[in-house]
Amino acid sequence: MTASLRRHLIASAIGLASLALSPALQAQTPAPIKAVASFSILGDLVKQVGGDRVAVDLLVGPGSDSHVFQPTPSQAKLVGQAQIVFSNGLGFEGWMSRLLNTASYKGRHVVVSQGIEPVKGKADNHGHQHGHSHGGAADPHAWQSVPNVITYVGNIAKGLCEVDASGCDIYQRNAGAYIAQLKTLDADIKAAWAPIPLAQRKVITSHDAFAYYAKSYGVKFLSAQGVSTESEASAKGVAQLVRQIKKENIKALFVESISDPRLIAQIARETGTKPSGALYSDSLSEPTGEAGSYIAMMRVNTRALIAAVRGL
Amino acid sequence: MPHPPADPTASAAPVIELHNLTLGYDRHPAVHHVSARIAPGSLLALVGPNGAGKSTLIKALAGELRPISGSVSGLTGQRIAWLPQHSGLDPSFPIDVRRMVAMGLWHRVGALGRFTAEHRRLCDEALAAVGLTGFESRGLDTLSGGQLQRALFARLILQDAPVVLLDEPFAAVDNRTSTDLLALLHRWQRQGKTVIVVLHDLAQVLAHFPLTLLLARELVAFGPTARVLSETNWGRAQRMQEPFDDDAPLCAASPDPQGDAHAHAHPHTPTHTHREEALP
Amino acid sequence: MSEPAVTPFLAWLMTNPLLGPLVEFGFMRSALLGCVALSLSAAPVGVFLMLRRMSLTGDAMAHAILPGAAIGYLVAGLSLTAMTIGGVFAGLAVAVGSGLVSRNTVLREDTSLAAFYLLSLALGVLIVSVRGNSVDLLHVLFGTVLALDDPALLLLGGICAVTLAGLALLYRPLVMECLDPGFLRQVSRWSPVAHYGFLGLLVINLVAGFHALGTLMAVGIMVLPAATARFWVRRLGPLLLMATALALGASLSGLLLSYHADLPTSPTIVLSLGAAYLLSLLLAPYGALRHQRPASSHLKA
Repeated sequence: MTASLRRHLIASAIGLASLALSPALQAQTPAPIKAVASFSILGDLVKQVGGDRVAVDLLVGPGSDSHVFQPTPSQAKLVGQAQIVFSNGLGFEGWMSRLLNTASYKGRHVVVSQGIEPVKGKADNHGHQHGHSHGGAADPHAWQSVPNVITYVGNIAKGLCEVDASGCDIYQRNAGAYIAQLKTLDADIKAAWAPIPLAQRKVITSHDAFAYYAKSYGVKFLSAQGVSTESEASAKGVAQLVRQIKKENIKALFVESISDPRLIAQIARETGTKPSGALYSDSLSEPTGEAGSYIAMMRVNTRALIAAVRGL
Repeated sequence: MPHPPADPTASAAPVIELHNLTLGYDRHPAVHHVSARIAPGSLLALVGPNGAGKSTLIKALAGELRPISGSVSGLTGQRIAWLPQHSGLDPSFPIDVRRMVAMGLWHRVGALGRFTAEHRRLCDEALAAVGLTGFESRGLDTLSGGQLQRALFARLILQDAPVVLLDEPFAAVDNRTSTDLLALLHRWQRQGKTVIVVLHDLAQVLAHFPLTLLLARELVAFGPTARVLSETNWGRAQRMQEPFDDDAPLCAASPDPQGDAHAHAHPHTPTHTHREEALP
Repeated sequence: MSEPAVTPFLAWLMTNPLLGPLVEFGFMRSALLGCVALSLSAAPVGVFLMLRRMSLTGDAMAHAILPGAAIGYLVAGLSLTAMTIGGVFAGLAVAVGSGLVSRNTVLREDTSLAAFYLLSLALGVLIVSVRGNSVDLLHVLFGTVLALDDPALLLLGGICAVTLAGLALLYRPLVMECLDPGFLRQVSRWSPVAHYGFLGLLVINLVAGFHALGTLMAVGIMVLPAATARFWVRRLGPLLLMATALALGASLSGLLLSYHADLPTSPTIVLSLGAAYLLSLLLAPYGALRHQRPASSHLKA
C-alpha cells in the first residue's frame, strides 16, 4: 500500500464513523423553531427573544412597504410550514387573514399588540393605497412607543413558550434581558427630549406613523397639508404647507412624499427650514444599515428628530 | 456687400460670356456646348421649344447651377436681380407689400442697417412704377397673381442690379400686367442694364426684344431677333429636340474655350455650329 | 413709510386675489418671474416656428434632447448642469444636422428632422437602459415652476436675454428666410446664419421651458400663443406682440388659478393658453366662425 492510499483510507474511515455517530450528536441539538414574522421590526424582536432556537422568516422585508404588500405563492408555502406566525395586528396587515387561509395554516398565530392601549388613527391624507385603514380605526404603528414594545416582547415570549415548552426558560431569560435594554432606550429617549421645550417639539411629516411616539415622548407631529405623493404640486398646496410651517414655527421638515427634491428645497428656502431626511416608520433598514435593529431604529429616529427640531 | 453708387446708370453691366457651357442633371446634358458673348446693355430673349434648356441656362447664369463643363464669365461677384419661374415666396406670410418689396434694398441696408424715410420713399416709387400705388400697406396674401408679380418686379427695381435675369415672368399674368411690365424692361435697358428673359410667347419677343438666343439644347441661333426667329432656324430647333438617352455614349468633345466645330460620338442627324456674333 | 400706514395697505394687498399670493409667498414671485422670462423669449420664437411650419418640432426636439441628457448623466451623475449642457448639445446637433440635410439634399426640413430625432431618441433610450433609469433622468431634467431657485431664474433670464438679442439681430434675415429663402440666398450670406441661429434659439428655449414648466408641456407656451394670435392679427409685428402678451397673461392666470383652485401649475398654465386658443378660434376676426360667415356689409371699393 502506498502512503497516499493509506491516508485516503484513514480519512474515509473517519468520515464514515462520524456519519454513523451524527444522529447521536444531532439528538443533542433541537431543530430551530420555524417562525414567520410579518415585517422587519417584528422579525428583529422575535430574533431577540428566540435567539438560536428560532429561525425567523420575514414576509415584508426591510425597505419594503407593508401597505402595498402582495404575498407570493412561495411565501404562502413558507407560512404553511411554519410552527408559529407573529403579526402586529391593529389592522396593519390587512392581507394576513387571507394569507393564513390560503396557506391553510393551523399553527399558533400571535398578535403581538394584544394588551396595549391603542391610539385612534387619523384620517390619512397621503396619496398611496393602504393595506390597512386609518380613519376611525386604531392606528397600527404602536411600536413607535417603547413601552408598547415591552408588551410586544412579553407576548412573543409567551407565544414561543406555548410552541416550545422545553425552551421556555431560555425565552424568558432572553426577553428579560432585552426588556432591560428597552427600558434603557425609553429612558434615553425621554432624556434626549427633556431639554427641548414643548413648544419647539413640532415636526412635519407626510406619513401619519408617529402618533404613538408623539404620545409617549410629547412631540407634536403635523402632517404636510395639501401636498401628496403622486400628483404634481399645485401652488395652493405649496402655499398651505409654507403657511403651516411659518404659523407653527416648525423647523423640522420630514417630507418624503413630495417626490421633487427641488420643491422641498424651495419650501425650505421660503420658510427658513432645512429639509431633513427620512424617518424610519414602518420598517428597519438593511441589517447592515444604520437602523438594522429596532433599538437602532429608535435611536436613529430620535437623533434625527431632535437635530431637525434644533434646526441643525 | 459693396454699396453701389447713387446713380444706377454708373454701374456698368459686364460682358457676359458663355464658354462651351454644358449643363445638365445626372450627367445628361440639358444644355450642350453653348458659347456666346452677350454685350452689356443687351435686352435679350431666350427662346426655344419646350425642354430646350432655357430655364437651365438662365439658372446657370444666376449661379444656381454648376456647369458640367465649360464656364460663364463676367458674372462672378456681380450683383444680379433674378426672378425664377416659381418664386419661393410664401404669399401667406403676414407682411405688407411695402415691406416685402423692401427686401430689394438689402444691398443698401443689409441685415442690420436702419430703414430710413428715404428707403420708404424708394419703395413707394417702385410700387408706383409697377402700378401698385395704394397697395403699400395691403397684406401679401390679398394680392392676385398679377399683382403679386408686379410686386416682385418692384422688388427687382429696388435691387437696382446691373444684370436682370427673368424666367417666364409673364407666364401666369394677364395682358395688361405683362404690357406694363414689358415697358419696365425697356426702361432698364435704357438705364444700361443687361436684361435676359426666358419667354415662350414669340409675339412678345418679336415686339419687344432686339436680341434673341434660340436654344434647343444647343445654340441654334443668336443675334437680332428678326434674323434669329426665321422659319429655318425654328424648324431646326424643333428637330433637335431629343429626350435624354440613357444609352448615349460619352461625349468626346474637349472643353475648348475657343469652341469651334469638333467631333462628337453621339447620334443626331443635323450638323450644328457654334456661332459667335459680335454685337454693336 | 410710517408703521400704521403700511399694515392696512399690506393687509388689503394680501387679501387681494390677484396680488395677495404674490405678496405673501416668495415662491410665487419666483414662479411669476420665471414665467415672465419664459414668455418673453418662447412666444416670439413660437411665432417664427409657426411661420416656418415647424410647430411640431418642439415635441420632436424634446425627444432629441434625451441622449444629451443621458450622456451628461453618465459623465456627472444626476447633475442639473451636466444634463442641461448635454441636452442643449444634443438638441443643437440634431437641429444643425437636420438643417444641413434639408438645405443640401432633396429631403425637406420635416423629414430630415424626423430622421435625426428618432435616431437621437433611440440612442438615448439605449444609453439609458445600459445605465440608469429613464424616469429618473427625465425627472431631473424637467423641473417645476414652483421650485425655481436663483440659479434656475438666472438660467431663464439668461436664455431670455440671448433670445431677445438674437431675434433683434437676426430679425431681417429671419423674416426673409421665412418669406423667400431663395431670394435671401441670392443676395446675401446670412441665410445659414439665420437658419441655424433660429434653430439654436429654439433649442435653448425648449430647455428653458423644460426647466420651468416641466415635461413636454413646455412646447405649449411656444406654439399656442402664436396660433392664437394668428386668429387676431395679420402682420408680423403685432403677431409677436400679441403672442407674448398672451403667454404672459396665461402664465399669470395659470399661476393664480393653481393657487386659488388647488390645481397643478404647469397643466393649468397650458390649459389657460388652450382656452384662449379655443375662444379665439370661435370668436376672433380670422377664426373659424367668422371665416364661414361672410361680412355683414362691404365697402364700395
